[in-house]
Amino acid sequence: MPADPTLDVDLAAVTDESRKLSASIQPRSGPWDVIVVGSGAAGGMTAFQLAMAGIKVLMLEAGRMIDHRKEYRTMEWPYQSPRRFRMPPDHRPIAVAEYNFLDRPYGNNPAYDKYKKVTSYAGNTFTRNWVVNEKEHPTTGTQYSWVRARVLGGKTNFWGRGALRYGPLQFKAASHDGYDVDWPISYEDVSPYYDKVDVLLGCSGTKEGLMQVPDGIFQRPVKLNCVEVHFKRAIAKMGRHYIPGRAGVTTDGLLNSKYRARCMGRGRCGRGCDIGAAFHSPTALVYPARDSGNLTIRPYSVVSEVLLDAGTGRAAGVRVIDANTREVMDFKAKVVVLGAGTLDSTRILLNSKSARHPAGLGNSSGLLGCYLSEHLMGPRGSGFIPVRIGTEPTLDDGRPVGPYIPRFRNVTDKHPDFIRGYHFQGGGGAYEYPGMAHDLPGFGKAFKSSVRKYYPAMISIGGFGEVLPRKENRVSLDAVVKDAWGIPVLRFDFRFGDNDLKMAKDMADSAEEMLKAAGAEAIKIERDPLPEGWSIHEIGTARMGDDPKTSVTDKFCRLHDVSNVYLADAAPFVSGGTQNTTWSILAMCWRTMDHLKERMRVGDV
Amino acid sequence: MTTRAVSRRAALRRIGAGAGALTLLPFLSDEGLAAFVHIQGTKAAPSLKVLSPSQYATLEALVEAIIPADERSPGAREARVADYFDLVLSEAQPSLKEEWLAGLAAFDAEATRRFGKPFLRLDAGQVEALLTDVSRFEAVKTKPEETAREVTRYDQPTQKPVLVEGLLGDVSRFDPDRPRPPLEAFFATTKRATIHGYYTSEIGIHKELRYKGNQILAEFQGCLTQDGKDCPHCGQKA
Repeated sequence: MPADPTLDVDLAAVTDESRKLSASIQPRSGPWDVIVVGSGAAGGMTAFQLAMAGIKVLMLEAGRMIDHRKEYRTMEWPYQSPRRFRMPPDHRPIAVAEYNFLDRPYGNNPAYDKYKKVTSYAGNTFTRNWVVNEKEHPTTGTQYSWVRARVLGGKTNFWGRGALRYGPLQFKAASHDGYDVDWPISYEDVSPYYDKVDVLLGCSGTKEGLMQVPDGIFQRPVKLNCVEVHFKRAIAKMGRHYIPGRAGVTTDGLLNSKYRARCMGRGRCGRGCDIGAAFHSPTALVYPARDSGNLTIRPYSVVSEVLLDAGTGRAAGVRVIDANTREVMDFKAKVVVLGAGTLDSTRILLNSKSARHPAGLGNSSGLLGCYLSEHLMGPRGSGFIPVRIGTEPTLDDGRPVGPYIPRFRNVTDKHPDFIRGYHFQGGGGAYEYPGMAHDLPGFGKAFKSSVRKYYPAMISIGGFGEVLPRKENRVSLDAVVKDAWGIPVLRFDFRFGDNDLKMAKDMADSAEEMLKAAGAEAIKIERDPLPEGWSIHEIGTARMGDDPKTSVTDKFCRLHDVSNVYLADAAPFVSGGTQNTTWSILAMCWRTMDHLKERMRVGDV
Repeated sequence: MTTRAVSRRAALRRIGAGAGALTLLPFLSDEGLAAFVHIQGTKAAPSLKVLSPSQYATLEALVEAIIPADERSPGAREARVADYFDLVLSEAQPSLKEEWLAGLAAFDAEATRRFGKPFLRLDAGQVEALLTDVSRFEAVKTKPEETAREVTRYDQPTQKPVLVEGLLGDVSRFDPDRPRPPLEAFFATTKRATIHGYYTSEIGIHKELRYKGNQILAEFQGCLTQDGKDCPHCGQKA
């Protein structure tokens, strides 16, 4: 079927640029001081920190460059495309139920043969050129909705913008409830870096003084709309907070960036923000780093393993498979930083086998790949707030994020059924598409008027619950299945546990309780967890610690076993609280890079 | 249909595109844009890919019966929802397309069986009676116990894959796959796609819903109580 010119973004120019760029950068094009794998939050921050400090960096991105001006289709109306945002017929996202029922690898299912590209659930008309094709990127083992993006900026191009800090409750979770271990660092170690990230990138929010989600250095907050204010007042009586969402978006502007303008209140940031108000790694970090003259970006560079110098026992560089030419080449540097995303960084390490490290690099503890954790999603509730039923809609969605209900379980009290906690995200009002119309019965004038009657009154909240880190929740290399570049794929062995599912039940009950307190009509409660991986907040597969026997990296995210390999993403995180992960990746990465810069300054690498 | 040449500027004016159109410009070919603007113009004849003129006419009547014109805004007919159906059908898997077309034929046959004339010629009361019957399934579906998903978790992967295929509407929306009478299934599918087609149209978004977002704002206002005022929109006191 021919490409529909009204649907397809013309990627010829950026593809051509990417091919030329990758062809022009060869192992002999160096030397570089540091190789960073990946270009998302972790890779971007790594490159920015090092390049700005005068360190020569080679960034290896598995996908292509991005044409952010063309590909971020922020303000496009659905009626501007005849397909109304439907994917083209040869593209298909995996539907929610299919994750649970279909055999893995998902993309190999015969039922998908007729599609050219099968994406994770996150694939839509705006993201489909960024997220990977499951046919090229299989997984095996238990079900897991692993969302990956191979393009400059990775998942930051469409992330949810939730910019939350871990606090003392997360760094010292074990001290709080006795389960598992604390992080080897504390909030006081990371807090200054959260401050720096807030100032560099812009963070919108309100000071609330809550220890479960510490305050930051905030720009102008986003406001609540009418249904949300009503809901806030109702749950305040229960002692619960409903606060403006904290967004990794500059609402006041940034004096430090020529690529980013302040938020203009248009909403739809998940398509990519074409004025750069929302944080996306390319405009916020990678382009400024490149402007320093110290960053070389090589797209189409699939890293298969970290190379070991047998003489010194240190990493010598990485092996790259060119995504287009399939040419295999070895790039060398003094330091290797992995920022490919928690699971792909782990996979690279597991695949870096040598006589000295037969189970993978950095895996002398045997724990590499273990303790995979994320956030359980799915339990949620919706309803209609009476004060707005039958009123004229107001402009309710011109902002980067909806409001946030901070964790209220096991903060000062102790829940009888489970440890740790969850938060809710979500708001209401008149969003562009009235999804609730699909739940309203009938037809004709009565149906049509009921849609507009309830349209301004909708409210919907969904929970994010901490999945307990457990050793048995792990990934390993599949012995048989390989990806399109011949690299062994990840085999998942990951299940929600008893504590997680008890918490999920309470999430649904709490949602119902709060919607009832707000007097909502037609309350609808979803109780089932969404498939594993749905949160895209995977952490923990190379956890940090002081003891090399019980952890993979030290407290500066450096492999215990190999002193010049760092992890810049969330793989070293010990536990993930309920907070969205990106802001912590950025802060932790900055901290790690400060450590690396100091080592390089004194000649320690 | 003759596709007239339309300048980009004129085209954008005609589809009422605001600042957002600037981001659209690079992706629409002149030809695609012109054709699309032409279809959006309510008086243009449909350029059908799948539906026959009589199927199109029946579908137009049906979608208009689901979301009709009223005192506030035009209905699904003027929003060209049937054209959207035709496009979706043209890209659907053949089996699903055939299934839906068979549903349309069965629906029309039911009208003839009951009232002695095709759907297109039913009067308002007859349309009401027929749609009331085929939409009965929905009243059951909205009971909470019926919407609860029966998902057995953590068992072995089934040998026979259960796919959530959607001919129309949003394929990622989970719809419990369970037996229901064909006409009711046909109605549910058609209603879902009508909702999608209508509320993503210019008429649906701007005239019917009076959606106010997707604009460039100095600052998002929200509920005025947050600025210490009584809110004129919701009536809540500061």
